[in-house]
Amino acid sequence: MESTTLAHHLLLAALVFCAGLTGVLVRRNLLVTYMCLELMLAATMLALVAFSRFNGTMDGAVLVFFVITVAAAEVAVGLALIVALFRRTGAVGSDRLDSLADR
Amino acid sequence: MTHALAALDAFKSAAPQAGDWASILPEILVAGLGVFALLQALTLPASGRWLIPAVARVGLLLAGFLAYQAGESEGARFGGLLQQDASTHLWRQLFLLCALLTSLVGGRFFRQRGADEAEFHHILLLVTASLMMLAQSSHVVTFFVALETATVGLYVLCGFLRRSAASLEAGVRYLVAGGLSSALLLMGFVLLHGVAGMHLPKGADPLQFASIAAALLGHGGEPLALVGAALVLAGLGFKLGAFPFHGWVPDVYQGAPTPTTALLATASKSAGVVGLVLVVSGPLAPLAAKLSPVLAVLAGGSLLAGNLAALGSSDTKRALALSGVSHAGFLLAGIAGLVTLRSQEGVFGAADIALPIVLAYLLAYVLGTFATMGALAALPAESDERRPLVALRGLIRRSPSLAAGLTLGIGSLAGIPPSIGFFAKVLILWVLVSAEAWTLLALAVVSVAVSIHYYFSIIREATVRTAPDGEVPPRIPLLDRALPLGLGILTVLLGLGSLIKAALG
Repeated sequence: MESTTLAHHLLLAALVFCAGLTGVLVRRNLLVTYMCLELMLAATMLALVAFSRFNGTMDGAVLVFFVITVAAAEVAVGLALIVALFRRTGAVGSDRLDSLADR
Repeated sequence: MTHALAALDAFKSAAPQAGDWASILPEILVAGLGVFALLQALTLPASGRWLIPAVARVGLLLAGFLAYQAGESEGARFGGLLQQDASTHLWRQLFLLCALLTSLVGGRFFRQRGADEAEFHHILLLVTASLMMLAQSSHVVTFFVALETATVGLYVLCGFLRRSAASLEAGVRYLVAGGLSSALLLMGFVLLHGVAGMHLPKGADPLQFASIAAALLGHGGEPLALVGAALVLAGLGFKLGAFPFHGWVPDVYQGAPTPTTALLATASKSAGVVGLVLVVSGPLAPLAAKLSPVLAVLAGGSLLAGNLAALGSSDTKRALALSGVSHAGFLLAGIAGLVTLRSQEGVFGAADIALPIVLAYLLAYVLGTFATMGALAALPAESDERRPLVALRGLIRRSPSLAAGLTLGIGSLAGIPPSIGFFAKVLILWVLVSAEAWTLLALAVVSVAVSIHYYFSIIREATVRTAPDGEVPPRIPLLDRALPLGLGILTVLLGLGSLIKAALG
């Protein structure tokens, strides 16, 4: 256990978080964008558990359960919206969504 | 084992005390009504469905009365999960007002478009209850869960017109923006909690706002803490629709059903403001000296970006969305002033008055926005997401009362005296003067001057230009015409009231 420190865990969490963030900003497919959002939440959970373990507090580990619950609610609504949009327009690429513009 | 026992004791001490449940009675009432709306939808016959919005509105009024009754009661509730003070009850009343007005604007709007009114009220009430919880949270868990519950509800309300591609697209875009914002916010809080956990004595709760503040007092300069604070600000900036996080605002406001747009513009923006106020006066208070320049940049950027983009917009809802960004700039300027004043004077003092001023600005903004959006929602349009400025042409001939409501509402948003919006802007400028934020003050004044241009182009279309010939005046029900007009007149009356009060005092 001594070989891995808090810094290692945080670095990994930061990498995963940045990967998710890049994906949200760059990718055009809504489902991939959405997966990247979940990746960002997963990174926060990793950081929470790491802090919890190394600081010797339980609070972070408890917050993880709240994050999972909230993420589940978000996925339920989010996927419903994406599926409804796909049925309506037949597209899940955000570059093919063009109902909204100033014209 | 002893550690676990200590944790158990801590848990027992956090168990609800007598009076804790009573102190959140308005939230319980509103959330209960939300569930009741669904029950009514299942049990009522088609002829009795008018009861659903009626019950919801009466309940909102009752909750507002309860929140008003709570008056000055303050203190920590539920072992420090919630913290109530005098401003809590004002925020609650503000959110209840937003919900009531949204219900009034949205009732017939959704019925006409074949959307379910019971579901609409169900989600609206749950969103309101969680926003009211947000306004009193003093713990990362309550803060995050309350904010997310409200946001998830708002995703649904954005995509509520399931047959409209624009509404669904707005819902998805809001989903991506909202998800990004909550991930940033959460990561920020996680880092702050980590820093707090490293430095606090055993037994202290590192998710408590007060203990995060205590830890940052000595260790606020650590990189982890600074990154955490920046991420929290970015997350709240998204919610607030502030520069440079305002990219989603015009699309979502344009595509969302107009009552939802009004709710997003008012309640969701107020949630961003109350969240920011709680964070800068709670966990991030020790970083005030570093925060105020950042907030000032966000405020100045929002003022400029919102107004300049709105100049080029030919769609009414987009123009109002971008003007909302500049209003967020004004609110941020008020908060930046608040933070500066607090850091100058140590604890409180004259900074005390800055928070009521931000609240007064929000009240003026809520009234003006609902007068404008109410008029837009009442107007028949080809499609809800296309409301070009030229479609307003000659409104005064077609429906004088709607034109008057729209004009008064826009007048208040623009800050034309003697509307309440004028006084709200003057008060924010006063805060900036007291905080000696001269650059921000200059930007605010310039942005007001710029905003007059596009606000007046809306008013000009509605009142001066004549309508194309041969158009049949639409039949608009009395309530839909009375609401914008009433709110418009209210902005002027409140403005005149403050003028008289200022002249006498």
